[in-house]
Amino acid sequence: MKPILVAAALSLLLLTGCWDNKDINHRALPIAMGIGYKNGDYTVYLDIPKVSASEKGIEVYSEHGKSINEAIDLISMNLESQVDLLHLKVIVVDKPFALHGLEEGIASIIRSRYIAPKTVFVICDQPLDRFFKRIDDSSNDGKSIYDFFQKDAGWSPQIAFTQVWKIFRSVHSYTNDVVLPIIKAGDTTILESTGSAIMKNGVMVGRLTNEQTLLYNVFNGDNLMGKIEVMNHATVQIVSNRLRCRGRFQQGKPILKSTLYLKVIIVDTTGNPSTEKIKTELKILVTDRFNEIFKIVRRDKADIFGLGQHFRDDFSRKELSQWREKYLPQLQIELDVKTVVRNTGNLKSP
Amino acid sequence: MFTLDAVKVHFSTNPDFVLSRIHIGDEVISVTGLKSLINFPQSVHLLREPLLALEPFTVQKLVEMGQELPASSDRIIDEILNGMLIAVHDATDVCISIIPVPQSLSRSISNPLTENNVRGSSSAFNEDIDTNLGLLRKHVNSSELQINHYSCGSMTKNTVTLCFLNQSIDPNLLHSITQLLESGANSDLSTLKDLSKLFKFPLLTLVSSYLVSELPQTASRALKDGKVVIFIERLPFAIILPSLISDMFMTEDDLNHPMIYSVLLRSLRVIGALMTLMAPGLYVAIVSVNPDVLRFELAHTIAISRLDVPYPAIIEALLLLLILELIMEAIIRLPSSIGPTVTMVGGIVLGEAVVQAKLVSSLLIIVLAAVTIANATVVGFQNSYLIRLLKYLLLFLSALFGVTGLLAGIVIICAYLSSLTTLGVPYLQLKQPKGE
Repeated sequence: MKPILVAAALSLLLLTGCWDNKDINHRALPIAMGIGYKNGDYTVYLDIPKVSASEKGIEVYSEHGKSINEAIDLISMNLESQVDLLHLKVIVVDKPFALHGLEEGIASIIRSRYIAPKTVFVICDQPLDRFFKRIDDSSNDGKSIYDFFQKDAGWSPQIAFTQVWKIFRSVHSYTNDVVLPIIKAGDTTILESTGSAIMKNGVMVGRLTNEQTLLYNVFNGDNLMGKIEVMNHATVQIVSNRLRCRGRFQQGKPILKSTLYLKVIIVDTTGNPSTEKIKTELKILVTDRFNEIFKIVRRDKADIFGLGQHFRDDFSRKELSQWREKYLPQLQIELDVKTVVRNTGNLKSP
Repeated sequence: MFTLDAVKVHFSTNPDFVLSRIHIGDEVISVTGLKSLINFPQSVHLLREPLLALEPFTVQKLVEMGQELPASSDRIIDEILNGMLIAVHDATDVCISIIPVPQSLSRSISNPLTENNVRGSSSAFNEDIDTNLGLLRKHVNSSELQINHYSCGSMTKNTVTLCFLNQSIDPNLLHSITQLLESGANSDLSTLKDLSKLFKFPLLTLVSSYLVSELPQTASRALKDGKVVIFIERLPFAIILPSLISDMFMTEDDLNHPMIYSVLLRSLRVIGALMTLMAPGLYVAIVSVNPDVLRFELAHTIAISRLDVPYPAIIEALLLLLILELIMEAIIRLPSSIGPTVTMVGGIVLGEAVVQAKLVSSLLIIVLAAVTIANATVVGFQNSYLIRLLKYLLLFLSALFGVTGLLAGIVIICAYLSSLTTLGVPYLQLKQPKGE
């Protein structure tokens, strides 16, 4: 019995294959990856912060390949340390790739298991080589692109926030689509947001402006603490938002009744408007903007709000597969905005 | 007189053997004993005064002063070695043993040396078994306290005392302990190892089956919890049986603090133990196997701090741990006058030079410093040995399998601890149940 135990213990040590663990300082930890697409050819850019005590900054490496993994492998081969994508935070793709469709790219990311499904996905409005060159030149610690999308750092509510797994879901779900943020290198700042892209089954079909993206985030329940909204007679700060939706069928047509509850603080007023007036103005403003977005949604047949979710139990599986094409354009949305003015700032309101 | 002659022959080469005669009227009494154990002049004086005052002399009066012994030389030799004064009435050969004025061979009651306490009583057990019993009686003033004496050893005799509270002790536990002690009447019992052997505790165990404490209040608490306390002559501590996992985290001293603080203090010790166990393993796992569990900023900083470090993380950690263990061991051995030097040299080596020389990363220094400090939070010296050793298991498993290995190691440790029993009492029991 004893020799067997000893042999088992030894094989535990020797057969694990874990002797080739690489220490952290021998791994290249890219923080952002760019994927460019041209006629079936991928170009991969890796944004790797320099691991050095004396100099800060980033290095950008790029390589071409028939697939994303081949290109990454080529970079890893030519690099003095092993590329480890586990810390990847942002994936930037160029517009041609987004228009062609991300399905294969996303599938290979999910399949490889080296990239975390929580990695943020971004579309770049300009050629990637220019974009990365600009980042390389201007950022000093290499983390700006990561901080830009960090909810506890530089993220602001006008920017969409979509992780890899959500796109994967969008590709395979009947009732869920996503929007991806669109950025480019800024003039004064390092990055600049230029709205967001509506992705239907992983293919870019339309765009939202920054303002519309904000409402998209409101609708999806992201907390917009401190977002300021300007109207004709007043400027208010939205401090809390909550949304309730209820879907039902009427004469074969889907109807969604949504109520948006907003809590606001009055920041500025012009010409002494009453609280009621401010509420009405806010309601009109928000409803108008929403209707604009809903129009886009019906036109592009991309369910970015996941409205189909509210009707899932009304459909058979077969009907559900027609949700985007048949039912979404018919969908009627009754949006009600209920506002509470939590306080009127330090001054009294009439 | 025949008996005393044999005794005299037996001790003939011992310079501390004294045999003198006292004359009381016409009677002659031989007094004998070892002057290294007995304060002879005072003892003889104590014997003679009452006899002179109570003339006329009768044998009966002599016998009343002590305990009569059978006139066998072996028995007398035993009594002499135990430090008794032997008086023999020459005419009748009546032999008695008297409690003498002893030579003081023990230090006085002092502060505990290996256990500090903040609020409890700070007198500690010492080498003298009677002093220890006295201290214990002061702490447990109860008629239930039972103290059994055993004399163990064939070559050298040693007194072993078993104390327990009749009311709280589990009869089965008591039965097995007394049986084992009685069976060991012929085996030498002067070290803890002898005791383990007597109780048939496994040799290759990591967790000691008994708790050793210098503090009378710990012993008294143990008695009240239904454990037994054993004293061995010349060992300056109480041996508490059986030892449970709660002994690692709870002290009697805690109960002198307000409730919230005692709970917090105990949780702090649990955190300390977990930290000592896991921190080195976690460092190695995170640095070499699973860097993905770190935040990016931290990963980047660690990568920078490990630049130019030539060894893999496991070697690096082992190297520094070895130095730490050496320092900890050296400080115990060294006289207190040289101790600070070692501390200082160790501080320089660990603090600055080793990082400057790029042998280890600065983060590892922080990790190991935290480990060493946390190691000391555990109650009881032998318990800190346990976690000091087990951290290496986690270290190696982490180096091989990363965070998964760390988890597996903790499972192994839990399984091991739960497999332990002492005299039928599971180690993972929080409190010994009181007997019916």
